[in-house]
Amino acid sequence: MLKSTIAPMISTLQSKTKPQNLFPIKIATFSNAISQCPPTVRQNASLNTPTSQTPTYKLPPSSAYVHLPFCRKRCHYCDFPILALGSSSTQTADDDPRISNYIHILIREIEATRTHFDQHPPLETIFFGGGTPSLVPPSLVAKVLDTLRSKFGLCLDAEISMEMDPGTFDAKKLKELMGLGVNRVSLGVQAFQEELLKACGRAHGVEEVHEAIEIVGSCGVENWSMDLISSLPNQTQEMWEESLRLTVEAKPTHVSVYDLQIEKDTKFGSLYTPGEFPLPSNTQSAKFYQMASRKLSEANYNHYEVSSYSKNGFECKHNYTYWINKPFYAFGLGSASYINGTRYSRPKKLKDYTNYVQDLESGLVDFQEDDVDEVEMAMDVVMLSLRTSKGLELKSFREDFGSPVAVELCKVYEPYMKSGHVAFLDHRRREITEDEFSLLVLDDEKLENEIGFIRLSDPDGFLLSNELISLAFGVMDP
Amino acid sequence: MAQSRPLSTSRYNSSDSAGRLCQVPNLWFKRNEQRSQPPAVRMATNLKLFLSSKPPPHHNNHHCTTTTTLSRRRRHHLLPIPVSNRTFCSLQSFHSSKNNSNNYSRSRRRSYRVWSKAADVQSKDASDAAEVTVLTGRDRLLKVPTENIRNFSIIAHIDHGKSTLADKLLQVTGTVPSREMKEQFLDNMDLERERGITIKLQAARMRFMYEDRPYCLNLIDTPGHVDFSYEVSRSLAACEGALLVVDASQGVEAQTLANVYLALENNLEVIPVLNKIDLPGAEPNRVVQEIEEVIGLDCSNAIYCSAKEGIGIKEILNAIVQRIPPPLDSAGRPLRALIFDSYYDAYRGVIVYFRVIDGTVKKGDRILFMASGKDYFADEIGVLSPNQLQVDELYAGEVGYISASIRSVADARVGDTITHYSRKAEESLPGYKEATPMVFCGLFPIDADQFPDLRDALEKLQLNDAALKFEPETSSAMGFGFRCGFLGLLHMEIVQERLEREYNLSLITTAPSVVYRVNCTNGETVECSNPSLLPEPGKRRSVEEPIVKIEMLTPKDYIGSLMELTQERRGDFKEMKYITETRASLTYEMPLAEMVGDFFDQLKSRSKGYASMEYSFIGYKESDLIKLDVLINSEGVEPLSTIVHRDKAYSVGRALTQKLKELIPRQMFKVPIQACIGTKVIASESLSAIRKDVLAKCYGGDISRKKKLLKKQAAGKKRMKAIGKVDVPQEAFMAVLKLEKEVL
Repeated sequence: MLKSTIAPMISTLQSKTKPQNLFPIKIATFSNAISQCPPTVRQNASLNTPTSQTPTYKLPPSSAYVHLPFCRKRCHYCDFPILALGSSSTQTADDDPRISNYIHILIREIEATRTHFDQHPPLETIFFGGGTPSLVPPSLVAKVLDTLRSKFGLCLDAEISMEMDPGTFDAKKLKELMGLGVNRVSLGVQAFQEELLKACGRAHGVEEVHEAIEIVGSCGVENWSMDLISSLPNQTQEMWEESLRLTVEAKPTHVSVYDLQIEKDTKFGSLYTPGEFPLPSNTQSAKFYQMASRKLSEANYNHYEVSSYSKNGFECKHNYTYWINKPFYAFGLGSASYINGTRYSRPKKLKDYTNYVQDLESGLVDFQEDDVDEVEMAMDVVMLSLRTSKGLELKSFREDFGSPVAVELCKVYEPYMKSGHVAFLDHRRREITEDEFSLLVLDDEKLENEIGFIRLSDPDGFLLSNELISLAFGVMDP
Repeated sequence: MAQSRPLSTSRYNSSDSAGRLCQVPNLWFKRNEQRSQPPAVRMATNLKLFLSSKPPPHHNNHHCTTTTTLSRRRRHHLLPIPVSNRTFCSLQSFHSSKNNSNNYSRSRRRSYRVWSKAADVQSKDASDAAEVTVLTGRDRLLKVPTENIRNFSIIAHIDHGKSTLADKLLQVTGTVPSREMKEQFLDNMDLERERGITIKLQAARMRFMYEDRPYCLNLIDTPGHVDFSYEVSRSLAACEGALLVVDASQGVEAQTLANVYLALENNLEVIPVLNKIDLPGAEPNRVVQEIEEVIGLDCSNAIYCSAKEGIGIKEILNAIVQRIPPPLDSAGRPLRALIFDSYYDAYRGVIVYFRVIDGTVKKGDRILFMASGKDYFADEIGVLSPNQLQVDELYAGEVGYISASIRSVADARVGDTITHYSRKAEESLPGYKEATPMVFCGLFPIDADQFPDLRDALEKLQLNDAALKFEPETSSAMGFGFRCGFLGLLHMEIVQERLEREYNLSLITTAPSVVYRVNCTNGETVECSNPSLLPEPGKRRSVEEPIVKIEMLTPKDYIGSLMELTQERRGDFKEMKYITETRASLTYEMPLAEMVGDFFDQLKSRSKGYASMEYSFIGYKESDLIKLDVLINSEGVEPLSTIVHRDKAYSVGRALTQKLKELIPRQMFKVPIQACIGTKVIASESLSAIRKDVLAKCYGGDISRKKKLLKKQAAGKKRMKAIGKVDVPQEAFMAVLKLEKEVL
């Protein structure tokens, strides 16, 4: 499992600390009997990690992601598995056979999913992502929800989110969806400037953005998120400031701010190079990030994850299952599930996906894996938890993966505490000072006992999360 | 060495009957190969001799066509018979030097023609042929009176045609038949032939009839580079005369001068030869004048020749007999033989090439090497013609080899004197020196796993190269390697190249450095070639550096730029002489450290290739030298430290910091990169911090791609060396070391 360490002479060199075997005890540590410990039904809602005896990943999922891939057209930055319907079908896609056929296959997939769990907690979160899920007629959404409900059960107060794009829904449609149980809207606004929307190839303009905000408000959606993209081509500081101001004014309970990623096989990918004009420079886009962090914090949003802000209690529960490495179902084209420690991504092409569902029905697909790679698991935990403001909870990490790796993690981050990128917190979430740390670091046992959490600072640590997380990876997989 | 053997040879090696036979081409090709079957080898060689003893060289092609079918048919019958030896010999020679990687199919295609030749001889009378060749062979081994022995070497500048002339002499005397002739016969190593230089010596015994009397001519080849001037002096000491070969269009070059002076010091009869007179640009009269003026050598009987065209070769041979004095007949005295070369043979141990000065040496004698004090039994003695032919005895004046299962060349160094164990000579021959390395560099395997291989390779090379010194060195950046000492820059380059080529190692070499002498405050003197081992400034009273005298010969147009170059390199002007109207000689004293970089390249490029140079070590001189340290984020980076003259510290420091700034990836914080003398920062750059490196979104919880990216990033960090908390990629070190070579 662990790579053998490099030739012995290398290790004697004065180079980075290369932990030799940080995972001495194999998987045994986190294979505690699950059966003894039936999952508590509402643990996810409290945003707490589960009891330490049960490894999180072994729990039966109580979240489901449903991919609804339809879009009117592909945005220029998007490399996601989507199915573009064309501009002719704006709001009246109700009878588009492409949608109904897909929903049919999707339902077959949900029904054919076997779960291997003795007990099923009812679903606590469902997330309709896309694509543009709001293009799917509510009647078809209802079918999907019914299928999920009958297959897994659904908590009464389950969070049911749906990504909705301006211009793809009206009040009637939203009301209908709300009637089906959708209670959280993720509104894909992206920008408040006509030229930016156009440059991104969005299918809507600023007018539709304002309309959509209006509709969401008028329909009484209590929990909704405004989704923005920063660092768009030709985006200026003024534009970004304006977007943030208008966002705050619209009073969403949640804001997602995604820093634009230039993906290879997209139109942007062929047009632009990251950090080069017309994209903002690296420094500029770091400023955008910092500005969002500052402005939204001033407006009482908590920066609870790298790209996510929310009012108190309005964190996206569904997304949070990701950050705490909890299992979740996933259904639909190209979607990725995480069950029993295994991640599985469905085919990204409709035809392949259809075949996959066929195979699933014939019992030919089995994601059960005997072994979960401990190092990979630890990497997932670190990578995901460090995205959150809560950070990595060292105690449970230590229990799952052993003390040596926990200690090494603390040590590798020591310089970055001094540079202000990483914070160490005690068990009561009080920040440990540099002086305190320099005492702790002398004694491994003290170090692992006294440190409760490791978190990245906001915004500097978050901004360099890749660098910082890859440092941790280096420690975990020498 | 065996690794570089041509493909075709090893191909034949695999087959049983041919396997033995293919030793022959090996013999011709690589001196350092094992000759497992001397009789077969000799026979094959002699057969060839016989075949080609009648010049001109390209005589029997017409036979080929006529006898092709016959030979093809015969081939099957003949295969087990030694005749096939010749086939392979011929094959080898046909493919000649350049294209060693010839593949099997090509050899096959060729073999028809070659075979027909072999068969041609065969068809006459196999037994006859064999007999005649044996006679010929015996002939060459026949003793001649001492007064009929002539020992000589050839002095020439690179490219003035020394090797071509040597080839021609071997051909004309029938020592090597023209068909076996590879170009530059005596340059055995691939590397030698490629670079057109002679690294190790060769010798050849020739038989020449002059006025109906047989003469034995021993050509002792000399290495053509200043790095090996000690070897040159020893081989000159083994001769009574020398041919001074000068390119009739180029004129006298610096190196020629140095070697002629060496020859004159050794009281050699120098015969001036103007080569390449067939070339349109040849001006033999001007060059003759130049030789007379510069060297003060009487050129009234200079020989005009073109080795390439075969003009004047006979005249040269005649002059050798007429003008070079025979050796003294001192066979009655106790044995004293001068070693002028030795090499390591993987199967037989060290083979020593020597000239008997006094006495005689016989097979089976117990011999003593006077300088090393080691004694051995001479298992085999013989002459070089130019391949080894065994004889029973060698007399004063003769040149030959000894094989005595000697373990390392260090036991039988060049310049050492061989004497009899039981009847020791009273005094050893003068002039013995142990090679002292002048230039040092660190050699590190790029792949740390190759460290043991590097050590083995160096040990093997050292068996054959007593001047090569090495000791293990550890560097925090480069890992484990060796600090190696070399005679000079060429020696260094050659060793590096052989390590890479013949031992398949990938190496990083640090900037070459010289040995400094540090006078410490406590009165001690420390020799130091490694900047990281330089004593603390507080403990140093003064630092001395090696100084060389450098003589450059250049067309007058480039005097200015060469003076500029030398001045830049802290050269101290000594003398300028016009040797002709258009050419001048410049003499400077210069720190060796300034020369070990790219000085020679610069000299060549600034003079459009026309200038030549020659240097000799003249001693140590106190100099204002300082250790220049590089600090990355305030942490010292030992492997990047260098010793430089104070005046150059600023420019070197600037170049280093700038290069590092380019090469070190940006970090999460601002990183100062500084060059310092002691605590004083003399050059500084700063690497700005990365501002943003964040992935926005885990779409639908699909983290696999993101994780892959982060893993890649983590792997990238692993390939770097941590200097404090800064990750520096290996390439940065390599680039800086390369830069150091350039700017220092």
